Amino acid sequence: MTEGKRPGGLTALAVINFVFSGWSLFGLLSLAAFFAFIGKIPTDNMQEAQKAQIEAFQNAGLPVFIFIFALSIITSVLLLVSGIGYLKQKKFLGRMIGNIYAVISIASSVISAKMWPAEMGGSFNIATMIGLIYPVVTLILLNTTFKDDLTN
Amino acid sequence: MNLKAPTIDHIRLISLYWSRYAVRSGSGLVYLLIALVFGLFVAHILITPVEQLIARQERELGQMNPEVIRNTITDIGQPITQWVLGQKSLKEIMQQATARQRALMNDSDDTSLTVQPLKSDADLDPWARFLLEKRPALLSAIFLVLLFGMPFVISFLAYNQVSGDIQSHGLRYLLLRTERSNIYFGRFLGTVIFSTAVTAIIIVTIVFYLGIKTRIYPAPALAGWAVHGFLALSILMVPYIAVCSLISASVDSPFLSLILAKVVIAGVLVLAILGSVAWKPAKYLLYALPWGWQSHLLHPAPAHCLGAALACLLYAAVFLMLGYYCFERRDL
Repeated sequence: MTEGKRPGGLTALAVINFVFSGWSLFGLLSLAAFFAFIGKIPTDNMQEAQKAQIEAFQNAGLPVFIFIFALSIITSVLLLVSGIGYLKQKKFLGRMIGNIYAVISIASSVISAKMWPAEMGGSFNIATMIGLIYPVVTLILLNTTFKDDLTN
Repeated sequence: MNLKAPTIDHIRLISLYWSRYAVRSGSGLVYLLIALVFGLFVAHILITPVEQLIARQERELGQMNPEVIRNTITDIGQPITQWVLGQKSLKEIMQQATARQRALMNDSDDTSLTVQPLKSDADLDPWARFLLEKRPALLSAIFLVLLFGMPFVISFLAYNQVSGDIQSHGLRYLLLRTERSNIYFGRFLGTVIFSTAVTAIIIVTIVFYLGIKTRIYPAPALAGWAVHGFLALSILMVPYIAVCSLISASVDSPFLSLILAKVVIAGVLVLAILGSVAWKPAKYLLYALPWGWQSHLLHPAPAHCLGAALACLLYAAVFLMLGYYCFERRDL
């Protein structure tokens, strides 16, 4: 299949991938700043819910920070690479990497909901479902609608 | 002008192909993502405070009391519902909220976790009472916001029904095999089918979540109201899709079609609201599109509801026929 026959939906998927990838990289900077200053945030005058949230992050420790950071970098790179793959209609770069991104993203959402306390964004709620929309749609479309377009 | 009679088989074929093609073409994919995120985000904003209240109740009282939760939702939702239904102005709502805040501050005990009677229950309109007390109030609030917000989103799906193919002259090849009327009405129906499917996904997800996670409403009440809300939203989308059909048939650029659809759908609302500040009768501009009465799709009286649904179809028929008139006459 030639690049000239790329469906508009695949181009849209690639553009959305680039946007989310950039967004994720920007989020990494915010995350790094957040964890650098989390220990110094005074919680004395905060409301109970806010205090619990800050304390949950303060008590989480370095391994959790490294896990979140690594996961953000991996998904960001996968989004970028698979976006290029969609544009070039590549089987490995597009379909395979796109599927890997979707599976990792779905797994990380489920694991976060199961393992982390609610104060750290854990527990299954509507926000978790919003986070699942894009990976689930990607997984479905790559294996049905755009299956025969990613063959180069 | 010779308007050709549409062929049912051709329309069926074109509409089914168009609804399947929507995701491949990009506009369907963008609409799917925006509509899902918008629908679930609205639900998230409205459900999260209730979940926090449930968590607080379970932490402090040891168990969740659905009656208290339902009363609190009704109490908070009452002014918002009255404003959305046009029964009270924003000023009246603010005055009511200030008075209520003062009353709460005078009340030294923290009564937010105990059963609170509705303080302004007496002035609650039957329509607001129906939405907040007779039906699951949380779902009613979500439906009201979706009824208001989804018309802004629908143009992402419906803007390019024919304008792209008019621009590329691609329709000339299709016209060797079928009539213009079949293409026009087939694509309109395909767009309606896709929009209805996405609406169903949004409603099922929200209702499933409310039923399984929050458990403050009985399942039959949720299911029944969800079907009503789904029908209301699906029917409401039809005239807005028809407006996009008209615009799409009138211009030969998909981008211009999208911009015009956005400007027309939002512009009517903005002009009516801002215009009515300077000149009262400008508020009737709302009736150029279903904005003025679309919340009647959730009215307690079945005749009222049915009337609103029929009006939706009438608006759609008018816009659709105007669009078809343009499409049949224009150079492709």
